[in-house]
Amino acid sequence: MKFLSFPYSGQCLVLSLLLCLVGWISLFSWSVIPISPHDALSALYAMNDDNIAHRIVHDLRLPRAMIGAIVGACLAAAGVVMQGLTQNPLASPSVLGINAGAALGMAIVSTITPWFGLLGTSMAAMVGGGLAWALVMLLGNAWKTGGEHGRLVLAGVAISTLCAALTKAVIIIEEDQASGVLTWLAGSLTDARWQTLDQLWPIALLGLLGTLLISQSLNLLQLGDDNARNLGVSLLWVKLGGSFLVLLLVGSAISAVGAIGFVGLLVPHMARMLCGQDHRKFLPIAMLMGACLVVLSDTISRAIIFPMETPAGAILALIGAPFFIYLVRKRTL
Amino acid sequence: MTRFSSYVITCVVLLFSVITQATTVQDSKGTFTIDYQPKRIIVLEFSFADALAAVNVSPIGIADDKDPTRVLKDVRDIIGDWTSVGTRSQPSLEVIASLKPDLIIADIARHEAVYKDLQKIAPTLILPSRRETYEGSLKAAGIIGKVVGKDSAMQTRLQKHKTIMMELAKQLPHNAEVQFGVARDDALFLHTADSYAGGVIRALGLTNAETGRDDSAYRQTGLEQLVAINPEYLLIGHYVTPSIIDKWQNEPLWSVLKVARNKHLYKVNPNVWSKSRGIVAAERMGQDLIKILNAK
Amino acid sequence: MKQSRPFPTLITGMLILIIANLMFGAVSIPLNEILKGFQQGSDNYFTLHEYRLPRTLLAVLVGAMMALSGALVQGVIRNPLASPDVLGVSHGAGLAAVIYMTYFPASSIDWLPAVALVGGLLAALILWWLCGQSSSAIKLAITGVALAALYASGVDFLMLVKPLEINNALLWLTGSLWGRGWHQLMMILPWLLLIPVAFWLAKSLNLIHLGDDTAMSLGINANKLRLVSLAVAVGLTASCVAVCGPIGFLGLVAPHLTRKLVGGRHQTLLPATMLVGAILLLVADLVARTIDPPIELPAGLMTAIIGAPYFLWLLFRTK
Repeated sequence: MKFLSFPYSGQCLVLSLLLCLVGWISLFSWSVIPISPHDALSALYAMNDDNIAHRIVHDLRLPRAMIGAIVGACLAAAGVVMQGLTQNPLASPSVLGINAGAALGMAIVSTITPWFGLLGTSMAAMVGGGLAWALVMLLGNAWKTGGEHGRLVLAGVAISTLCAALTKAVIIIEEDQASGVLTWLAGSLTDARWQTLDQLWPIALLGLLGTLLISQSLNLLQLGDDNARNLGVSLLWVKLGGSFLVLLLVGSAISAVGAIGFVGLLVPHMARMLCGQDHRKFLPIAMLMGACLVVLSDTISRAIIFPMETPAGAILALIGAPFFIYLVRKRTL
Repeated sequence: MTRFSSYVITCVVLLFSVITQATTVQDSKGTFTIDYQPKRIIVLEFSFADALAAVNVSPIGIADDKDPTRVLKDVRDIIGDWTSVGTRSQPSLEVIASLKPDLIIADIARHEAVYKDLQKIAPTLILPSRRETYEGSLKAAGIIGKVVGKDSAMQTRLQKHKTIMMELAKQLPHNAEVQFGVARDDALFLHTADSYAGGVIRALGLTNAETGRDDSAYRQTGLEQLVAINPEYLLIGHYVTPSIIDKWQNEPLWSVLKVARNKHLYKVNPNVWSKSRGIVAAERMGQDLIKILNAK
Repeated sequence: MKQSRPFPTLITGMLILIIANLMFGAVSIPLNEILKGFQQGSDNYFTLHEYRLPRTLLAVLVGAMMALSGALVQGVIRNPLASPDVLGVSHGAGLAAVIYMTYFPASSIDWLPAVALVGGLLAALILWWLCGQSSSAIKLAITGVALAALYASGVDFLMLVKPLEINNALLWLTGSLWGRGWHQLMMILPWLLLIPVAFWLAKSLNLIHLGDDTAMSLGINANKLRLVSLAVAVGLTASCVAVCGPIGFLGLVAPHLTRKLVGGRHQTLLPATMLVGAILLLVADLVARTIDPPIELPAGLMTAIIGAPYFLWLLFRTK
């Protein structure tokens, strides 16, 4: 593993290049209308409005790749913060019930039509996710030091099961909506457009910068709550602020593309393998890796039943779940 | 001697059943025999209600998801009132039993699990509906006609249907490319050439848009794929408004579509085009198409 | 004998509910008609004898078995948040069922219970193979959760790639007693043999609560006990899921509720939890059938809707 021994700046550079490469590939690959690799580039700087390939790259593929990258970065950062805050290697949006809660909120709002105007689906997703997470944290004793890691995960499972059951209830009652909601539940980038990007990036940027700011405090938290307090960390503020950032990041990602799972679980561990335990270092790496991963799985999702699309989240879950098992096996809990 | 007598009895029974004109047809579970004309019929899918309406038979119960308007108005006008027996996916066997039917028509895709229970209530004819094509549904209607003792009426009706469809086809431009889809809040499902709507479109002398790999009757389609399919006419059944099509229309890429350039995007009733899958529905679809294609 | 008082109440409650389940539905049958209904040829023969009676009995058995399975799992894992779900059995069964439904849509649905049963047992074997005998209880549970997540993602993937079968699959995955009759009841009967085994384990389960070492010094092999108890729980869950689909929350809520009523001694807890489980599922199915007739909701839905708020309240109160 030569890559592991690269200096930190080299790793960042290589990952950035990789992201560009993956993004470029996603612009032209697996298209029903032939798009050449060259088209994909020329659409960026010499856009020709009458060329359908250019239009597709510019109007569909480019925002899609960018949203994928941002969402990946958000989810990875959220995973890092959650694992830092709870000091639980399994903490992540999907394991701790945020995804299921958000899905429930969205399913309720989108199938019960009269509510439609009242509360947007993205708002509902955020509220649902936030509530579910708060419940899991309370049930799992996450704020107490030395709380059992297993308890938190089991609380997450219980709440996820509850939310999933209720989501299914809503879907079954409104049978006509079923497949649409399911696609959304799995998380798909199919309908990611410039408008989505406009709504996504300010919040995402805010959240990502915020996580970089608290990364030093996260480092100190790893020494244990008491030590951190002695070193001048305000536990309450870090934990509250961290939770708020997580909600911001996950909420904006979910409202943009649906409940994509497992990025937050998978990526922090990969990043940690690369560059050690320092949050200041591996947070940016995790963001880059998350971005690559989501863009890549979005590309794969178009290939699987070409010319149709599978939601990218379904692909990620298939990659992420075995890794989850691996993680459980490796770690001493 | 006992063996001989049993032969005799069998022969007599067979003879007797021929005299009372037992009808035997093939359904999805093998042979189905009925030796009387059923009067109290319960149907568990909309297409079967449509078939009964075609020969003026009124079912006493329909699995209508407790929403009578899901049955086509033309069909409702013919069959009058009925009792709802619950959802199509989980019809209430209690209500079915309490109606004391003498024939139940069920869908193999949805009701195979309760076929044995249904048989205990009344003779059950089980036919495909959910995954059925246009040709298949006509065949199913023929079988239903035989079973309810209206074979000749049904054959006449099917013949008339053929004529109507041919008449309609004559008024339609030959080989115009028509694509039907249903739109939800966040997804568009195109009904491909293998679907019921696709079959009707073909029967009317029109062509389906080329949707590529065909292994399913309904296909979720993104804007990118729609641009690639690029049909001449796009007919959309909106399950909710505003649906995803309304969102797409505001996007610059939409203008690339032939449908947008020629203003060939039309709204149709999804209950007629997608849910009903019957003779009456097909004729209504033909009339819709005439209105749309001859509008110029 | 303060602890044994709930039993008469529970049994009476269950009997009343059984009668209520026979009486009410989309069509109500008055009490005096019920006995007549069991004679062949009477008006309500089908509704009562062929439909409501087997369905009610099935609700009793499945409710009891799921609850017992939950009590065993919680006893072994020593965590109140554990449930048969953490073994991945129901998700494994679900994956097998969905594979069967999407890839063999033409084949007979009669095989579905068998396929689901095999899937559930296979999932348990995989868990055992991954964890072996030596893993700690909590690690076993988390591994089960991870496996369940894998199966769930497989189910999602299949349903998204083959959207045509979604509704049937979803319906099955929610767990329902609709359309289940004598045939399904017969399938579940052999598994009742596991119940005496569970009772036989009760005393050792009490000791294991004192900690592995203490149990060991009292002559109990904790690992072996854990293995046997979980195997029984797997058998109970897998057979129920095979017949009715995964009925969620029953295995989680019923033991909790029972612990409130009779305390934590497994000798009383196990039989009491079976009664509570049966009562819960009877109520759920009754509500599912009568809330908006003739529409039938899946019973699994109702157990989640009834069970979840209670469960949350309970957890907050015990903290």
